[in-house]
Amino acid sequence: MKKTLAVGLSVLLLMLAVLGCSSKSNNNGSSATNDASGSKAPASGDKLDPVTLKIILPGDRPADMDQVIAEAEKRMADTINVKLNLVFVPWSDLASKTQVMLASGEDVDLIFDAPWLHMEQMIAAGYYEPLEDLLAQYGQDAVTVRSQQMFDANKFQDKIYALPLGNSHLDGRTYVVRKDLREKYGIPPIKSYEELIAFAKKVKENEKSIIPILTSGQPGAKDQSWGAFRSFMTFDPEILRSDAIGQSLILNYKNNDGKVYNLFDQMDPTVWSWIEEARELYKGGLIHPDILAIKDVMSVFESGDVAVLATNSFGVPQQIASSLPKNVPGAEVEAVTFIPLEKGKVTTNFKQANFQAIPKVSKNKERAMMFLNWTAKKENYDLLAYGIEGQDYEAVGDDQYKTLPDSKYGYFPYAWVWNPTLDRLNAGFDPESIEHYKFNANADNLIASKLTGFSFNPEPVANEVSLYSAIEDKYYSSLFNGVTDPTDTWNKLKAEGEGYLKKIQVELQKQIDEFLNK
Amino acid sequence: MSFLQEIRKNKYLYLLALPGFAFLIVFAYVPLSGHLIAFKKYRLADGLWGSKFVGFDNFKFFFMSADWYKVTFNTAFINGLFLVFGLGIALLLALFLNEIRHALFKRLAQSFIFMPYFISWLVVSMMAFAFLNTTDGIVNRTLEAYGMEKINWYLKADVWPAILTVIYVWKFAGYYSIIFLAAITGISGEYYESARIDGATRFQQIVHITLPLIRSVAIVLGLLGVGRIFYGDFGMIYGIIGDNSALYPTTDVIDTYTYRALRVLSDFSKSSAVILYQSIMGLITIVVFNQIAKKIDKDSGLF
Repeated sequence: MKKTLAVGLSVLLLMLAVLGCSSKSNNNGSSATNDASGSKAPASGDKLDPVTLKIILPGDRPADMDQVIAEAEKRMADTINVKLNLVFVPWSDLASKTQVMLASGEDVDLIFDAPWLHMEQMIAAGYYEPLEDLLAQYGQDAVTVRSQQMFDANKFQDKIYALPLGNSHLDGRTYVVRKDLREKYGIPPIKSYEELIAFAKKVKENEKSIIPILTSGQPGAKDQSWGAFRSFMTFDPEILRSDAIGQSLILNYKNNDGKVYNLFDQMDPTVWSWIEEARELYKGGLIHPDILAIKDVMSVFESGDVAVLATNSFGVPQQIASSLPKNVPGAEVEAVTFIPLEKGKVTTNFKQANFQAIPKVSKNKERAMMFLNWTAKKENYDLLAYGIEGQDYEAVGDDQYKTLPDSKYGYFPYAWVWNPTLDRLNAGFDPESIEHYKFNANADNLIASKLTGFSFNPEPVANEVSLYSAIEDKYYSSLFNGVTDPTDTWNKLKAEGEGYLKKIQVELQKQIDEFLNK
Repeated sequence: MSFLQEIRKNKYLYLLALPGFAFLIVFAYVPLSGHLIAFKKYRLADGLWGSKFVGFDNFKFFFMSADWYKVTFNTAFINGLFLVFGLGIALLLALFLNEIRHALFKRLAQSFIFMPYFISWLVVSMMAFAFLNTTDGIVNRTLEAYGMEKINWYLKADVWPAILTVIYVWKFAGYYSIIFLAAITGISGEYYESARIDGATRFQQIVHITLPLIRSVAIVLGLLGVGRIFYGDFGMIYGIIGDNSALYPTTDVIDTYTYRALRVLSDFSKSSAVILYQSIMGLITIVVFNQIAKKIDKDSGLF
């Protein structure tokens, strides 16, 4: 027994020694390649050694992806000579998988991240490379196609840690409505929230097999909870989420006064009315009874079982527009939004919702930036954003496109190339949605938040944030979707979470004050 | 005889053991050093050794929360149910299968109950939803057909430990029954022969021969299960329950709680701290239960 133990121990020591050496030599190797490509790169006309970039993207891999990659690689072969290894991570696993990739130091060159995912935390944990130098050296085109505001407002801790992706300065929010049902009951186009609810009630009364309302009940999508979603379309008062605890409304900003409001200190009557109304809707059977258990709301809507769905962006998501009529013959959908097209009405901090970052562990940082720069050319952008012309899409003028019926290239430019200059709008959108996009692409139409450019560093209250998040996740979705009794649920949430949230609020206010006094 | 002589003498035997040793070292002993992360403020950029040592700081977030004993209880309770019912029903299945005399039917029955083992949790979760959802779930339709009220299963936290146990047994009982069946097959036929000569019935043969002879297998499987009693099966629980907050009171286990708390912050050190807590609790329970097992039967302990 003793002898086997000795053998085991000696092997163990050996293994440790080997492991230690190998990790060390890896580090040296990577810095060496960095230097090498760095010195080679400036002569951009020269042919570079082929490099394969591993890029992490959200969603599903489009069927035509390989054709697009082949075309892109052909175009890049003579200049930056990049080969693409695109890894698609399903939305539902995105947060956990990307986090594990970063934490385990997986060799990734470009990765999708977002403030609604875990951007601040990943930056605080030191996973991402600051991009100022790389942008200045290799990213001139990537800079020109984006406005200065876009870079200024999307700094984290005063540095550009990721390339902001966006075609507009405001995130759209939309109620997707079954147009065929609305017309069936002779209801005119929906113009207000009250009319929307009236439509839902009509559906409840007349359609046995259709549930009027569905929205995400998952803690990962708190912004889409039915009651909380109303904050995007209510402007008196306009209640904005804080920067500290994701999409939760419990800490919020209003009046653009640089103050953090805490609903535990004082419940805002408007927010409370949303909660109570959601409860009425749930009890009345208007909100889907299994809302907390449904993981993929899109597919439930696509199956035709639901009449109204709350979604992000303006316009009907293409996935719904194309698959619903296949499942339910004769079904039609339309986009309804109550966000006004009125100058100086909506506040924004110009924060973008999507980013591409270069992880610290990447061995090809220069080439990754060169690739991002390459995507900022019109013809390359069109290829990556819309696929192969004539097969996947058809250009409509300079700023719109039409998806061809046989296209097998799903829409995801927001995940890696999006910018306001080169973006084309879907010509299939209704005119109102297109108007919304164009309106919000102009920064002057929106009120600039006092906190533009501010980002919260959660490090000093890390324990409180994790403790509070775990508590809030227990109650938030059932509260704002009306699944449980409002007063009872609120009191439980308050009793358990108030202490931790107070500390987060104080820290957030402190950082905001420092930011404003700068 | 020196160490080297021993090796030289039995070099082929040691060579045979080498892959096993290597496996254990790489996958069981080297990772132990990872527990160090639990005491450090781990940052990828600084590496394991470069990161700051922070003592028990990382344990605070878990033990400061009001829920830590509740999720610990949930984990042990759900796993206890799995263990008792999983092994119990597997044992019954093995006994029944052993009594089947028609060879083809026995094979078919075996394969049939073994099959769920290969179905992934994601698919199981969809099947569970198809059974239990409120709008057109099979269970609620049946209830309605008999004129009963629909039940919103996905809001009823109390029944979920039972539902999860049923799912677990359905998925794993076949797998464990094969192990028991193998043990039963190993019992010498002479015992049964002499029992039959003495006039023992089939039932008496099971109670007095089969059960005592496979007791050690049952105890080993039980002890192995007890060692993992503080590890919630994340793939299963998160796959089926997901983020359904209405079911947290009874189904929130240590693993899902930690996942949720750290989803926002994604802190490597804090999750390591929780894993260390689970490991230590697991170690304590397995030592205690091993002692108990040895008290009852001297030879059946694991160590």
